[in-house]
Amino acid sequence: MQTNRLSEIVNRSENGPFMKEVAFDMALARKVTDLVKKHAIKFDPEVLVPHDDDMADRLYQAGLELFIEMGVYNQSTERRILFTRQEVDTTVGAAPNAVVLGCGKDAVIERHRDVESAIPCRMHSGPTGTPCSERLHPLILQACAQEPLVDCLGAGSVATFQGRLIVPGSPTEILASRKEASIAREAIRRAGRSGMHIEDVAVPLTCAGKIATIDPQSGLRPSDGLLVSQMPELKTNYDQLSRVAYMQSFGMHIVDLMTPLIGGLGGGAEGTAIVTVASHILGVLCYSGSYHFMGHMNLQWSHNTDRMGLWIQSMAGQALARNTPLISVNDLYTRSGLGTPEVLWEVAAGAIVGAVSGLNQHGVGATCGTKTDHTSGIEARFQAQVAHAALGLTRQQANEVVLECLPHYEHTLVNPNPGKSFPELYNTETLEPGQEWLEIYDKVCQELTQMGLNIDGGWRKVRHDENTF
Amino acid sequence: MKIPSELLEKFDLALRLGNTDEAESLAKEMLGKGIEPLALVQEALVPTLTDVGQKFQNFEIYLPELMMAGEAAERVTTLLEETMLKAGKPSVSFGTIVLGQVEGDIHDIGRNIVSILLKSHGFKVIDLGRDVAASAFLESAQKEKADIVGLSALMTTALPAQRRTIHLFEEVGVRGQFKLIIGGGATNQGWADEIGADGYAPDAASAVDLCKMLMDLPSHN
Repeated sequence: MQTNRLSEIVNRSENGPFMKEVAFDMALARKVTDLVKKHAIKFDPEVLVPHDDDMADRLYQAGLELFIEMGVYNQSTERRILFTRQEVDTTVGAAPNAVVLGCGKDAVIERHRDVESAIPCRMHSGPTGTPCSERLHPLILQACAQEPLVDCLGAGSVATFQGRLIVPGSPTEILASRKEASIAREAIRRAGRSGMHIEDVAVPLTCAGKIATIDPQSGLRPSDGLLVSQMPELKTNYDQLSRVAYMQSFGMHIVDLMTPLIGGLGGGAEGTAIVTVASHILGVLCYSGSYHFMGHMNLQWSHNTDRMGLWIQSMAGQALARNTPLISVNDLYTRSGLGTPEVLWEVAAGAIVGAVSGLNQHGVGATCGTKTDHTSGIEARFQAQVAHAALGLTRQQANEVVLECLPHYEHTLVNPNPGKSFPELYNTETLEPGQEWLEIYDKVCQELTQMGLNIDGGWRKVRHDENTF
Repeated sequence: MKIPSELLEKFDLALRLGNTDEAESLAKEMLGKGIEPLALVQEALVPTLTDVGQKFQNFEIYLPELMMAGEAAERVTTLLEETMLKAGKPSVSFGTIVLGQVEGDIHDIGRNIVSILLKSHGFKVIDLGRDVAASAFLESAQKEKADIVGLSALMTTALPAQRRTIHLFEEVGVRGQFKLIIGGGATNQGWADEIGADGYAPDAASAVDLCKMLMDLPSHN
């Protein structure tokens, strides 16, 4: 297929097979069930980081078959966009395996990572899926951007503009989007990293709002990115595709966001892993994503640090790492909130899984993004430290450490501690974490060190590695 | 007349497996034996679907199983409605609920689950889908003579549309005719109180309980 496929995608959207959305959902659910059986994909709650290469390859084949059989559902036209096996193979094969994110001295290269890769993970931070108040948003962004181990910043979202709720599709969406983009730009400048990659501004819900964030002077630049979302499962629409058209026209990074739902149309862990692989293929074929956020989440609580979530991350990560050149990034959502040891144990488990399963790192959506201002920089620092410390582990070793992490938080998943908000845990003048949060962080770091992870030395080694830039 | 246990077991299994044709055929057989449609709903349909809903809530089964059971139940409900209509009897439905994602919100899954569970509990549900204008909620509520209107918002940016929709019902002077309830990830009881909603449900099971309470029906708990 051509590198600019959008004209053909619109053509197929207009002329592909018509299907009611509910029928597509049911067909997809049935197909996934068949594929789980056909490819003998099996979830074992005691092996969250499997070392079964053959199952990883079977999982990729299952995802590929799902994508080719179902295609992509365009909600705007109620038609399926279908691709041939050859189109998928050649397009996925030609996808980028490394991208330069950001500019100048702050630019970094994010790479495809193999299973048990020695290449350090890139760390994406920001208020992941967590709304911020207008007053604290600039401080929270700076607190994230100033963390030395953070490579990229997501600008997150606020609900209000000048104290009033933002109305999507109205001028307030445009004004708020532009304001928040400029706040993100200012945050990285204040952090002394003015060329750092900004991966998204999450305020706008519409294509117009996303485009409004682009402003080389005070907003987003081509070296930055914006999210283009998939709707669960394997769905898109013209608003999302129009974002691709605009960004592709001037070389801006397109960030593919998927949220396969565990317990949703894919069913349990095995089916959701198949959907996750297929969603990556969608992100290549329809969105030409520079990199992909693997944002699978539990249907009930929106987290992905339980056993099923961790297993899906590992298996889908390995399947993609072994069979594609794609750059995929985990997207950790925790049940517990800031200022609790549990949130850090959830992050540790997710970070270790990602590091050995071919992924880069993104976090943290504490409290599953439900509590305003429950987000800061230290949890991203911690995630990067753990990920760097996990380099060199085999999958078997990683599995043992992850299983050791689980007793520290698994019992709290039903009734998690929401913890405290940013101003309760940080000094809002100096933007340094307070004693309470630091003591919890230090304690968990010490316990992980005792478990054999080189939490302090791991990142130092990474920073002197020739692959780091 | 009591439903024979053998038929009841077969019907239960057909619903759980989503065998739509078999569930419909068994329902016809029961009607043929003189079982009243309302008894079929209360003694066969609702107990099975309540259990399916509970298993889904406990993550013992997943959305595909819930959807398939819901699809089979919907076919049976349609059959029973037609039977009641022909006999000149009132509907088997416990109430009519208009449901939708407010304007600007394009999310589906959560509302779909609420819709399935409400249908499973004997409500007639008119699902308007996503990105629904305030005027469309009003029009549908009046046309369907709804008892309850459910406004869902997953994103905080969809909250103004939720408030706008309730305001419209007040402006045209029909607010008292309908119970307006809210749900979705961006909402909470405080927001429901602020915008004057009649109720708030944090999840799908609570939405069923809330609707039952508003219709003065006993809760399944």
